[in-house]
Amino acid sequence: MKFAATIVALFLSVGSLMAADNSSRFESVGSKIMCSCGCGQMLLKCNHVGCPNSATMIRQLHEQVAATDDDQAVLNFFRKEWGVTTVVEPDRHGFELIAWILPFAGLGLGVFLLVIVVHKWHVYEAELKPAETKLDPRLESLRARARKETEI
Amino acid sequence: MPLLGDFCLLFALALAAYCFVVGIIGFIRKDEIGFRLTETARRAGMASFFAVTIAALVLVWAGLNNDFSIAYIQQHSNRALPTPYKIAVLWSGQEGSLLFWSWLLATYAFVLRIRHKVDTRLFANASTVLAGVQVFFLLITFFVANPFGMMSTVAADGNGLNPLLQYPEMVIHPPMLYLGYVGFSVPFAFALAALMMRYPGEKWIHITRRWTMVTWLFLTCGISLGAHWAYAVLGWGGYWGWDPVENASLLPWLSGTAFLHSVMMQEKRGMMKVWNMWLIFITFMLSILGTLLTRSGVVQSVHAFAQSSIGSWFYVFLMIILMVCVAAFVKNRRHLESENKLESLVSRESSFLFNNLVLLAACFAVLCGTLFPILSEWVRGFKITVGAPFFNKVMLPIGLSLIFLTAVGPLLAWRKTSLGSLKKNFAIPAGLSVLVGAGLIPLGVKPWNGIAYFYAWLTFVFSTLVIATILSEFIRGGRVLQGKLNTNIFGGMYHLTRRNMRRYGGYIVHFGVILACIGIAGQAFNQEKEQEMAQGDKLQIGSYTLVGQEYTEDDNANYGSNAAVLDVYKNGKYITRLTPEHRQFKASNQGTTIVADYSTLKEDLYVIYEGLNPDTQHPIIKAFINPLVNWLWIGVLTVVLGTGLALVPNAAQLKSPVTVTAAAGALESGGGASMRPAGARK
Repeated sequence: MKFAATIVALFLSVGSLMAADNSSRFESVGSKIMCSCGCGQMLLKCNHVGCPNSATMIRQLHEQVAATDDDQAVLNFFRKEWGVTTVVEPDRHGFELIAWILPFAGLGLGVFLLVIVVHKWHVYEAELKPAETKLDPRLESLRARARKETEI
Repeated sequence: MPLLGDFCLLFALALAAYCFVVGIIGFIRKDEIGFRLTETARRAGMASFFAVTIAALVLVWAGLNNDFSIAYIQQHSNRALPTPYKIAVLWSGQEGSLLFWSWLLATYAFVLRIRHKVDTRLFANASTVLAGVQVFFLLITFFVANPFGMMSTVAADGNGLNPLLQYPEMVIHPPMLYLGYVGFSVPFAFALAALMMRYPGEKWIHITRRWTMVTWLFLTCGISLGAHWAYAVLGWGGYWGWDPVENASLLPWLSGTAFLHSVMMQEKRGMMKVWNMWLIFITFMLSILGTLLTRSGVVQSVHAFAQSSIGSWFYVFLMIILMVCVAAFVKNRRHLESENKLESLVSRESSFLFNNLVLLAACFAVLCGTLFPILSEWVRGFKITVGAPFFNKVMLPIGLSLIFLTAVGPLLAWRKTSLGSLKKNFAIPAGLSVLVGAGLIPLGVKPWNGIAYFYAWLTFVFSTLVIATILSEFIRGGRVLQGKLNTNIFGGMYHLTRRNMRRYGGYIVHFGVILACIGIAGQAFNQEKEQEMAQGDKLQIGSYTLVGQEYTEDDNANYGSNAAVLDVYKNGKYITRLTPEHRQFKASNQGTTIVADYSTLKEDLYVIYEGLNPDTQHPIIKAFINPLVNWLWIGVLTVVLGTGLALVPNAAQLKSPVTVTAAAGALESGGGASMRPAGARK
């Protein structure tokens, strides 16, 4: 589980390796936080005047981004301060890690099954080969011609 | 009038139930009586269409005539509502939209039942399956969410339509989306009927191909119109927010796209029969799941028009569908044995396999993210919010691999492709994409500037690869026909397309998808700025300068509005005047934003009026520069064009007598193609 978590974290944090200054961090971390007033909008997109929460939250975001280099710590601050549902990106630890692993595990399982199916078909083809060699050569040439002509 | 609507609904339910039950009896009995019963079932099914049509017309009529004695009309309409929106009231609430859904389903079923002569037995059984679905929707429309419920006291005016829905696109977006959702019932019905009757050959696939493509086209249009509406109305600067209801529409679209690709393997090589059968089953179930998510309130959504206890009905229906599909599959699985096997990993077949895998992985990822809040509530007692950042991170790598496969797939031949031929076909497109990738760096698209830039750069490179591949396919084929038909290259390409509309129409669809991807990649370079603007104040964003000219107020029977008049300058030169607006609707006391957009192929200048600062009484203006957004809409139009072309018969097919060939094919395919017993009357 820990290994998988590390792989997923590495894969997903390619961007953070290339992250630039605090303003871009403010944008990227802010895009993961939802305004808690009930408007259903992301914090940085909350566009209604007189929102009771967004100004405070944005101020806190500025402070947190300046205080620490760890984006997860900033998100955890908001989870603790405003509730877990404020952060719209699942955590990369514990139960919420499942959300990150499942899609790629599904893809991996799909590839695995595909490999098995393809292997099975190859075995089938190998079993058929001796019979195929006895085909009429004229049929083979017609087949080759059809294959060539249907390419277009 | 409401009583007439109610009666028609009940009558339609009785007719659909008759069609379903008698259709099953007809399926079991294969004698003359069974045949006659099936015919009565078909006619009852057709009559149910007229009954539902009258019920829907009654509701529309009530809306147009402000009949506030009907609770649904009172809740969703008002006297001042413009006429087109009064018609749209039919699908703007839970009860009405279920009636609308039932009507669309009855319409599809009516068309299917009218065309029964194509293959009497297959169509009869498909009609029975559709009647089963009709019974479910009419049951809930009549008993659970009846749109003809009456008010105890009649109000002088209604509550009005949700302001967000008072936009021209909202008149056509839901019907398009529903046409897509409901339409997947038809291929599902054919697939289930074909499996249950062990229908010989692939003819049922040929019959359903157009139904599936038309349905897919409607769903594509519905999703795109919804995205455009979100962009133009919601005023947050984007068009796709990964809201659960948006995701619900994407799920059947993804699996339906996978089906449209993999079905070609069954048609051409008799492969993947089990896979295709389950793909169409899953697509239909995802349509129902989408409806469940939209209407039950199990997940939080901005589309909160329909939160009710209706979900349990959909859970039961979904379970019944699953059980029927599993039972039919287990009983008839031997009928689905593949006729051919994969001969090489480097072949068109394998590209379809990988394409299906990636599309289904995308579908699974969207499903996981959408349902994770429910899972977390079961496990931890509260709903984790899963939003856009999660989906963007998970879906972008999957989407990019799909674009890559779109480039490679058409270059591969059926059965086997030699490495030499692959190199030959791939060299020029690959070279071009490398050149474009290198050329983008001096233009500022530097992949090392951040993950968003990296993905955008990769999208442009892969998109070039796809476009070059498609062009090379057209040019290569066009050249061959140019020589044969003694015409120029464009004439050759035209004849090439006319000879295989499906294939080349498909390439145009791919081209459209790529244009849309380029538009989406533009998001990496978005800019935004917010500023309080008094008269004469300037807002600078990118190369644009916005200057506040005046602030106006307006009032009519439906809403009051505030607007800012802004002059726009680009690099110091006047280009246009924009008027972003905020409307406050009187009946519902809800506000909405009317976005002002200066749109070019390069970028959109997107301006919203956020409201007045209560302290200074100055308007707050938010401006965005959204690069390449127009390419998304152009891409969608190209997809529509390509799908339309793929639906047109080939030139060669047009000359041959299609119906005779089809009838001959049906006769050759044996007993499964006709159900009329010997001696039965015409």
